[in-house]
Amino acid sequence: MMRHIGRSVERADAWGKVTGQTKYAGDLQLPRQHHGRILFSAHPRARLVAIDTAPALAIPGVRKVITAGDLPGSNRYGYNSVLHRPVLVPPGEETRFVGDAIALVVAESEAIARRAAKAIFVNYDPLPAVSSPRQAMLPDAPRIHAAAEGNCCCRREFAHGDVAAGFRGAEVIVEQTYFTPRQEHAFLETEAGVAFVDDTGVLQILSCLQDPYGVAEDIHQALGIPKSRIRVKVTPVGGGFGGKLDTTLQVHLAAMAWLSGVPVRLVLDREDSLFFHAKRHPMEIRLRLGARRDGTIQAMEGEVIADAGPYSGRTFEVVGLTISALTGPYRINNVGVVGLGIYTNNLDSGAFRGFGAPQAAIARELLIEKLARALDVEPVELRRRNFLQPGDRPVSAMLGDSPNSLAELDARLQELLGPKPPASGPSKRVGRAISFDMPVFDVGAIPVLGKSGVGATVEIHSDGSVSTHAGGVELGQGVATVLAQITAEDLAIDVNQVRVELSDTWTCPRAGRTSASRLTYVLGNAVLLATGALRATLIARAAERLQARPDQLVLRDGAVQLAEEPDRAIAFAEIARTCSDRGDNLREEGWYRYPEDRYIYGHTFMAAAADVEVDLGTGDIRLLKLVNLLDMGKVINPTLAAGQQYGATVQGLGLGLMESMTTKDGRLQTPTLAEYLIPTALDLPEALILGSIETPYPTGPYGAKGIGEAALNCTTPTLLNAVADAVGAEICQVPLLQEHVLAAIMRHEDD
Amino acid sequence: MRVTVNGTPHELNVAPHRSLLDMLREDLGLTGTKKGCDAGDCGACTVLLDGVPVNACLVLAVQAEGRAVLTIEGVATEDRLHPLQEAFVRYGAVQCGFCTPGMVMSAIALLNETPQPSRTEIQDALAGNLCRCTGYVQIIDAIEAVAKGTG
Repeated sequence: MMRHIGRSVERADAWGKVTGQTKYAGDLQLPRQHHGRILFSAHPRARLVAIDTAPALAIPGVRKVITAGDLPGSNRYGYNSVLHRPVLVPPGEETRFVGDAIALVVAESEAIARRAAKAIFVNYDPLPAVSSPRQAMLPDAPRIHAAAEGNCCCRREFAHGDVAAGFRGAEVIVEQTYFTPRQEHAFLETEAGVAFVDDTGVLQILSCLQDPYGVAEDIHQALGIPKSRIRVKVTPVGGGFGGKLDTTLQVHLAAMAWLSGVPVRLVLDREDSLFFHAKRHPMEIRLRLGARRDGTIQAMEGEVIADAGPYSGRTFEVVGLTISALTGPYRINNVGVVGLGIYTNNLDSGAFRGFGAPQAAIARELLIEKLARALDVEPVELRRRNFLQPGDRPVSAMLGDSPNSLAELDARLQELLGPKPPASGPSKRVGRAISFDMPVFDVGAIPVLGKSGVGATVEIHSDGSVSTHAGGVELGQGVATVLAQITAEDLAIDVNQVRVELSDTWTCPRAGRTSASRLTYVLGNAVLLATGALRATLIARAAERLQARPDQLVLRDGAVQLAEEPDRAIAFAEIARTCSDRGDNLREEGWYRYPEDRYIYGHTFMAAAADVEVDLGTGDIRLLKLVNLLDMGKVINPTLAAGQQYGATVQGLGLGLMESMTTKDGRLQTPTLAEYLIPTALDLPEALILGSIETPYPTGPYGAKGIGEAALNCTTPTLLNAVADAVGAEICQVPLLQEHVLAAIMRHEDD
Repeated sequence: MRVTVNGTPHELNVAPHRSLLDMLREDLGLTGTKKGCDAGDCGACTVLLDGVPVNACLVLAVQAEGRAVLTIEGVATEDRLHPLQEAFVRYGAVQCGFCTPGMVMSAIALLNETPQPSRTEIQDALAGNLCRCTGYVQIIDAIEAVAKGTG
């Protein structure tokens, strides 16, 4: 019987967050603190002719104005060692998007910094922007990076079986091209940080981010500061969702503090934040499916073109995941898909919950719906007919070892969904759709800079209380609470005895990035390795003291006791107090490495369903019911898990029905949160139903899987397919707005 | 100007164009009220002005002259959370926490005005407070539980 696992332990940071005491980066106030401001490029693409900073320097209260020539180091950084992003664009070079920085200001107040940035005179020679991947691929298109021929950022390919033979054997072939929108994270806390050089010459960065090690690497690469003099400490993060995974403002902030000699706070305005950080890749996905009359899918072929934006070091991985995710949870033995990432002068693209897989799910699930119409079969029946069967290896570059639970999910989904409700009026139609998916989570395949494996340290103090240190980041997902639960469970202590410290590059073992739904799995396992070692030490010492055999001893309530004689016990605190005398340590580091194949991924099998009612006169969509069902492996904390599932589902709803961050000639057309709309409390479905099943994942901590991203995945196509079912016409517009529904209804009536 | 914040009277010199939000955060150090957009779009800076929820970024500090402001820091007593704060903790209504102070303030205003709101009325009351983490459901659950006395 587990005491802490599977229980909704209250989150450790909740008190501070509900009382307003939690200090986010923008709340910090250091002595002599100055304020930073970034001057961004006025043009998506322009040759920078000259910069005159004198008018800014003349403003009282301005401490420092920095341009490219002032920077120590290479002035280049970028994820995955693609070091082609300048911290500041130097005169003579071209800007590549509106988020390129031109100059940095450090001043006594935010208002002065803002005024000074405006006063800097920049002479640009504007050039036409490359504003779409298709345009970027034309032979005469300007090159955004000299080395990137055809503006190609990356080309990924996945091939399996014999595609041509597969299509020859197909009796019905369907094909469609889908355009998925750029999605903005819209975390409530914009990019922010405070930096200073401490009395030992160490540059300290306190900032909201998802990859402290990547940030330290970028600062080192760009500014040439030795790594031993860079300390990154992550402040409570006001939402990330992938948008704070790449380095955001931290290199700029580091330059400000390093060169000005004063502590600097830099907080982006919302309007700057909206164009600055990398977004979900907009994609054009052409997909073709061939099937036999009985519905058996014979082959899939397609091409993905992703708008990488100007830099996007993540595109290689994101596009790789998109093409790997196209086949989903279906048995498709002949597959040929190509993915291209193409540089443009649009906003940068990068990580966003799902990491390329949601786009794949949209294309696949919409096309399967079209195939069902062509075959005139129930869409869910068609999906069932093509399910991967237990024992099948998924046909995908992302191989996995998760037990296949599609049949159980399917059955459970039907229970949660219930009968389809009747329409509420004569001009109304109710539609229903069901989708399945198997999004991946990282089990340790993602390399950790300078280290293999992912670490956690657990220490039992001399009073019996326990500290756990790990390099993961608390984004709000609750990882600190989950790790406290795992620590407490394995050491058989009260969860309130455990404190978890996260994400300080100087005090926590390396954990790599907080992404890919990986922390519960990789850090949970690292903690268990550390607590396992502690248990062994505790039992060995207790065996000596109690004169018992180790196998007679158990851990209970912070003590080691004889299983048969609970009165004969010794408290952890007592063991801890004597440990140092004998040179023992009750502080252990656990390093988790995936035991076998580095390129195995976990899969979170899932299902989603929607009932919608469409008004055929107006195209208005009423969301009657949305069901989201995940195989979580093992739920460590039901309330936190539900929070992830709700949040991801509603982000998927936003992607499907509301959100599109558009640009024109490289300029953002939705520059505020009044124009870029995300779901509010009024946009929820009338019933939002969550479900989970638990098929233990053999190598997961207590059987747990990663679940942070999964629920988003097939929410979007499920909603679209439900509308298609209601109106009886194909839907391929994302996001699907009322006007698109109306257009589909009118097209259908014309036919 | 004179203003009472969380029951404490203050006398301050503020520039006429300073927002109530900047006054609270920068002049009084009450950083629990968050700046998410500075344009009235996100609701993270919601405070109560004479009991009425406002976006502090859209109110000038001088407009609070002689009035009472309640921020998140004034909601709990020394040793006890407000029932809404307790419910937010228990129902998982908090993730990243950045929208939480504004959400709690909107919820307090709602329950002062409408002690027994329907779920739809709760959704209406939160319409001006964006949250990107939770999908709102657990926030609505928490408020409903307090209203029903089960929080």
